[in-house]
Amino acid sequence: MNNLNKKSKKTNKKVNLKAALSLATSALLGTSVVTAPVAQAKEADEWQFDSAFLVYSEVDRVSATEAIIAGTKTFDNDEILSLKLTVDALTGASANGAIAQPNAQTFTRPSGNGQYVTPAGETPLDDTFHDTRVQLNGQWTQPLADNITGSVGGHFSKEYDYLSLGVNGNVAYDFNRKNSTISMGLSYFQDTFTPEGGIPKPLSSMLVGDSSSSDWDAEFAKTRISDSEDKSTTDLLVGFTQVINRRMITAFNYSYSMVDGYLTDPFKVVSVLNSDGIAQDYIYENRPDSRVKQSTFMQAKYHFDDSLLNTVADVSYRYMWDDWGINSHTIDTRFTIPVGAASYIEPHIRFYQQSAADFYQPYIGDGKAQTGFVSADYRIGEMTAVTVGAKYGVVLNGGNELSFRIEYYRQMPTNAGFVDPQRLNSVDLYPVVEAVIAQVSYSF
Amino acid sequence: MQKKRSVKLSQQKDGYSVSFNAMASPCEVLIQTQDKRVVEQISRCVSAEVWRIEDKYSRYDSLSICSEINNSAGKKIAIDEETYLLLNFAEQCYQLSDGLFDISSGVLRQVWSFSGLSGECQQFPSSIDVSKVLSFVGWQKVTYDQHSICLPQDMELDFGGIGKEYAVDRCILLAKEITDEPILVNLGGDLAVTGPRLNKQAWQVAIEHPDSDALGQPQDMIVALVQGALATSGDARRYLIKDGIRYGHVLNAKTGWPITHAPRSITTVAPQCIQAGILATLALLQGEHAEQFLTEQDITFWARR
Amino acid sequence: MKANKAVFNTLSQVNSSIVHSSKVKLILLTVMTINLSACSSLGVEPWERDLLAKKEMALTSSPVDAALDDHIYFSKEASSGGKSFGGGGCGCN
Repeated sequence: MNNLNKKSKKTNKKVNLKAALSLATSALLGTSVVTAPVAQAKEADEWQFDSAFLVYSEVDRVSATEAIIAGTKTFDNDEILSLKLTVDALTGASANGAIAQPNAQTFTRPSGNGQYVTPAGETPLDDTFHDTRVQLNGQWTQPLADNITGSVGGHFSKEYDYLSLGVNGNVAYDFNRKNSTISMGLSYFQDTFTPEGGIPKPLSSMLVGDSSSSDWDAEFAKTRISDSEDKSTTDLLVGFTQVINRRMITAFNYSYSMVDGYLTDPFKVVSVLNSDGIAQDYIYENRPDSRVKQSTFMQAKYHFDDSLLNTVADVSYRYMWDDWGINSHTIDTRFTIPVGAASYIEPHIRFYQQSAADFYQPYIGDGKAQTGFVSADYRIGEMTAVTVGAKYGVVLNGGNELSFRIEYYRQMPTNAGFVDPQRLNSVDLYPVVEAVIAQVSYSF
Repeated sequence: MQKKRSVKLSQQKDGYSVSFNAMASPCEVLIQTQDKRVVEQISRCVSAEVWRIEDKYSRYDSLSICSEINNSAGKKIAIDEETYLLLNFAEQCYQLSDGLFDISSGVLRQVWSFSGLSGECQQFPSSIDVSKVLSFVGWQKVTYDQHSICLPQDMELDFGGIGKEYAVDRCILLAKEITDEPILVNLGGDLAVTGPRLNKQAWQVAIEHPDSDALGQPQDMIVALVQGALATSGDARRYLIKDGIRYGHVLNAKTGWPITHAPRSITTVAPQCIQAGILATLALLQGEHAEQFLTEQDITFWARR
Repeated sequence: MKANKAVFNTLSQVNSSIVHSSKVKLILLTVMTINLSACSSLGVEPWERDLLAKKEMALTSSPVDAALDDHIYFSKEASSGGKSFGGGGCGCN
């Protein structure tokens, strides 16, 4: 601390006496105590790093490990450079879209190389998922004029079968003594999907049989339309932030997102059932080639006083709707409660509910030929999800912060009004998905 | 140290006035409300806070942490977070003033004793005396961290230069927690307000001229304060003249000698009282350049020469 | 550093003639520039940002947590973005 002060003093004593005193005063009087001026002084000429390691593990399904390191450097003239590296690895099984049956089921792997069998009564999971992803982000932020801040960024993400490139730009205007901010941002992503085994022909039947037979490869190729597909995403985000008083700040966003191209999941199928509810066939799903999503988001943060332990409450709500017929509500709540001078505990509750896409069907009957869009992916079906968790953070000597987070995430797909055949009463068509998220973070 | 501590409430035209004595000064809290319960609550909280800070940081109180540090004889003393934050603040003022502001400079009073009545310095010290005492001054020799401080033997700390202003700011924070009604806290001339008076009117504050022996001299200045704080540094009644040079009572911590050619008092405005106090003191330490110093920093001030 | 100083009188009246201690004082009106905007409705003065300046009061108090969460929910639910860009970025959806 002392050294830092000495250093900052030498460089800009005259100019910043008032500012330096304000900072010293807020450290003295504010509850934010020592860390604030240290951080400020640090940011002036050093890199500030945030790192995290996260494990996401679903019961009986996928698990993912993800590591992030993000560095931020603030230059003298308030220019900010942020760089972020993310690496994640995914393994395990993922629902393939088909429903559980009273009997065992056999599926062909998406690559066409071999088959797997799902036991009776179990939700079919494709266990071939394993992928490693590397993502790089860079963002440059600087003042453009008085009260106007501009920012541009780039995104690169590569995994075995997927490449994503993105750019974004953002402008923010502060007014009313910087108590109000209007911002507008645009981002554009261009993604290319090159799944092993190619892109399946939508609505074609999954080929099941002897994959070692001589004509297998030729037959399998008939269910494929290409090696790769593209999709582009354009996002527009308009935001308004307002400081209400010394204890409260609010934010309101509207976003408009257009996704065009290949939006189908090449790994997902739909069960085709006979009138008894027994699967006769599995067809590859088919989604529209465009999607327009809109959302409104509002957030409020409130700093309580001593009587409530100086807790900071963070409450947000998002309403999202799209032209696929999905709409969703998300409520996210966090309470940051200081524990002693240098640590805090942060309980977190998130509630999420979505309606099903118009073309979502858990399965289809075999009477009629499929022509339109269909998907049995539970992620675009009706669902409620809840996350509960807590984070514990401690500021170590020197201002570095170490934190631990553990969360429980539960997805509860629900029946969006489909009347199921009697035979299926014994199987779970809408299995609950449970996951645990554990994370360690260190900022230095 | 035994003190008689009492708080007096009096109703005024548009609110209440709370008065008490603390830190060797008359203290006053004006609350613009008719709600007596709120007034009582505030008078309790504010007076208790001021006395708490006085008890904790007074160098005259043998039980204070200040005395404990000063009597530590070079040993490490445990400190709490508040003390740590105050030391940090003092450290930053020391750095910002290039060592001119130094809370360890109090020992210089051993050789510079200004009489309270005549304002004269009883004995003009020799430079040998001064340099001897000066060896016990020097904030850079003090080591401290979040939990402890080590003050070298024979050195002394004095929170007098920041304590009262700090108390004003603490009181304002406390008062704001209790009520939204307009409040002014005045601790012996260092004062701050929670915001404008009702109907967005300014508080009218009279600054007494340092020369005035009686109240009501025409040189008194009325300042309209809507927001923030006022603090004054300097005392016209404490000075000495030697060889035609007027020495103020503010001492240069680096030389051990009084600052010359400084204004007799400086009043500054700042968002917080402790800032205003430091700015006024730092300006005074600039001697003849005091006004220029404040002007360059774009600070609203009143100086009296 | 600073001992007893010029005494202040705080006056609770706002009349044009200020009365205190039964003595009439002349007024020198000094308007402070820092307070010209005190009438605006919402918001705080720069020096009242002590709480808002705390890291936990930032709209996104932990960008790393937010990035990790966005990635999880993007891949497990039909909605994304809203707070920041929803974007594409991975083949997880």
